Amino acid sequence: MGAEKKLKAPKKATEAELRAIHIKPVPDEEKPKVALELLRRYKDEWRSLVMAMETCVKCGLCAENCHSYLGTRDPYNIPAKRADLVRKVWKRYFTPQGRLFGWLVGAEDLTLETLEMWYSYFYQCSECRRCGHVCPFGIDTCEVTMAARRILHQLGMVPKLHATTGAAMLKSGNHMGLTPAGIQDTLEFLSDEIEEENGFRIEFPIDKPDSDILYIPSSADFMLNPETLKGAARFFHYIGANWTITTRMTEAGNFGYLFDQALVQKELVNRLFQEAVRLGAKKIVWGECGHGWRAIKMYYNTMADLPHRIPITHILDEAAEYVKRGLLKLDKEKNPEPTTLHDPCNYVRACGLSENMRVLIKAACADFREMEPNREKNFCCGGGSGILFDDPDMYELRIKFSLKKAEQIRATGAKVLCAPCSICKAQFHPMIEEHHLGVELYGLIDLVGRALVWD
Amino acid sequence: MPYIEVLGQQIEVDEDGYIQDPSIWTPEIAKAMAPMEQITELTDEHWKVINYLRDYYMKFGICPMIRKLCKDTGYTLKKIYELFPTGPAKGACKLAGAPKPTGCV
Amino acid sequence: MKFFVGQVMPYITVTIFLLGLLWRAWRWTGALRIHNITLSPFARNWADTIGIILAQILFFWNPWKFDRPLWVGAWPMHVALAGVLGGHVLGIYFLGTQFTYIGLSVAASKQASVLLGQLIGVVFLVALLYLLYRRIAIEKVRAVSAPSDYLHLLLMLAIVVVGDLMRFLPSAELEYEEARHFLAGLFTFHPVPIPDNWYFIIHFLLVQILMIVFPFSKLVHPLGMLWERWIVNRPYQDTPLGLPGVRLTLSGPAGGSTGSKGV
Repeated sequence: MGAEKKLKAPKKATEAELRAIHIKPVPDEEKPKVALELLRRYKDEWRSLVMAMETCVKCGLCAENCHSYLGTRDPYNIPAKRADLVRKVWKRYFTPQGRLFGWLVGAEDLTLETLEMWYSYFYQCSECRRCGHVCPFGIDTCEVTMAARRILHQLGMVPKLHATTGAAMLKSGNHMGLTPAGIQDTLEFLSDEIEEENGFRIEFPIDKPDSDILYIPSSADFMLNPETLKGAARFFHYIGANWTITTRMTEAGNFGYLFDQALVQKELVNRLFQEAVRLGAKKIVWGECGHGWRAIKMYYNTMADLPHRIPITHILDEAAEYVKRGLLKLDKEKNPEPTTLHDPCNYVRACGLSENMRVLIKAACADFREMEPNREKNFCCGGGSGILFDDPDMYELRIKFSLKKAEQIRATGAKVLCAPCSICKAQFHPMIEEHHLGVELYGLIDLVGRALVWD
Repeated sequence: MPYIEVLGQQIEVDEDGYIQDPSIWTPEIAKAMAPMEQITELTDEHWKVINYLRDYYMKFGICPMIRKLCKDTGYTLKKIYELFPTGPAKGACKLAGAPKPTGCV
Repeated sequence: MKFFVGQVMPYITVTIFLLGLLWRAWRWTGALRIHNITLSPFARNWADTIGIILAQILFFWNPWKFDRPLWVGAWPMHVALAGVLGGHVLGIYFLGTQFTYIGLSVAASKQASVLLGQLIGVVFLVALLYLLYRRIAIEKVRAVSAPSDYLHLLLMLAIVVVGDLMRFLPSAELEYEEARHFLAGLFTFHPVPIPDNWYFIIHFLLVQILMIVFPFSKLVHPLGMLWERWIVNRPYQDTPLGLPGVRLTLSGPAGGSTGSKGV
């Protein structure tokens, strides 16, 4: 099974890095056994996984609809074949046909090599669910990737990036390891910038008690995406909100959801509600992050076992509602450049944000150009699910994964690329250079904030 | 554990060459790291950036927003990339002794 | 042999078929937990959900939109399959007179029954051959195929070929009356000997094999689809919009609203 071929895979976390996320690696000789036990447990637990395993007819429709396959032409990146890496094992151990006629139905034993294949290919999948959208049966292949990654995580096979990001979450309440002092300094700097640009100052309320709204930005915004933070501040200021940002849970992303779906993910959710209660928030408003929004919207009640007490909505849904009712005065000419929108996968294929994003971008930009295909048919940026690896093999794959996307962007002739998701932004920052796209990158609330007309 | 050699001493780094303990940073470590980041010689302009990042990191425990780095040093992002071909977050901050950035970068 | 295939095996087959399906349904339902996940296209209510699923079942909406060459084989194949199943029931039960209910004479109805059977039989055969060709010829489809994927097609092809021979070869033909007599015996638990027609015996045997394989293979996908789409295409209740404690409230004319869904 391709053992002689060198697998492309992200650098694995070291034992020390695993210890920081409280994982003790399973010795190699025990890995297959433990993996099988875990898979059996998930089989008895999650219907989404069982159905993904047992519904596929191998029609092959998903192949041409997966950006990973389109970019690499590696057959294991065909969603059906990638899922088959688990399905072969599933058949071999959990189905009568696989036990009796293994070779006939393509069943295989679970070995260490199988697990290395999983590690390679389930970290080439970006969990974008485009294959699920196009599948005649609606098979959610993302559930397979997530199950495989969870198993690998418990064996101690975690990408360095995911493990260290998880450790940062446990330690600081965000993925970047931001400190309260750093958060404060960055936000003061942004207030200064707003003052220069708008002629008046907007403060970012930090850890402010008795706030009505708790805004959860992506921690990457503090490093890479200043305009997204400024856009949110301008929106909240415009509508006269009593809002705050907490320094203890400053993360709209959710790497835990991308690899462990246990401790790290729970830490985030626990901190979220602790902070909302501490600061008296009546509503939590989520910032620009695709997977993180989906994780909160769709998984935390089955994954984190916490009751839903404080309503959570997305800033783009809230802002769009204001625009629909004509309550925001926006001047499109403040964003005059030809602008295209990259639909983040989780927004459009899971969270139903496609129309609201268009409400906003059409109201805020003078020359909006759709890329094709768009909305729920859009292709992933190539970095989805945090596969933002920088080891040479994987970085090369990231360039390939974004080939389709580069084509799409180029065809619009846009000068501004709007990608309202931190992973998309982190993927695009280098990919714009790699593919010589020559576009400026913004989030969406950035453009809305900039177009606001202040009386 | 990999290491780099600085003034005859072995300094522990991770697989990507970031020092493990930011508090032990010295300018000599930055010099030793420079070739790995495709920098042939550290000029005054490099040091301006490195010292700024170092001070910021010691004060706030994180690397500054890239926009702030540009503003405070007076260098454009393009200039920063000329100085540090591997980029501000992964090149410049590394030389300043910060750990490898995590999350969506 | 004829006794076993005609009078004993059918009861075993049907038992395995039904118990197999029940087992599968139990396995899929059981005590399994379901994430609150949705997948585009989004249903705002249950009518939408039913609409989405019906569009997929009746028109093969996704293959039509995303892989037309697949649709060209898959849709006609399944329509022919549905036609064949319906045709067998009606033709054999009414002995070919089913079209008198839409105003045809008895003779014309019988002729229509034969012609329609021939037509659908040919469509079915061509579509299956096309799908087999596709699985062999297109690299990416071959890459995802296991031996069983070819065998399922070959088994169906064999059934259809024999069935078509009985339609087109006068020497292979079996009268509706004979088939009905035989099947009525099975259904009333008074089995009578299977008609002495080797084409029919083989046809009947292969169909039974297909029924035994059905619950334990990918052939069960029409049911799997219902379970799968019930997870991902359920209506999702969005949290109402509107921010607390703001100066500029959403007090427009439309009243409370929720996050809009792109359908």
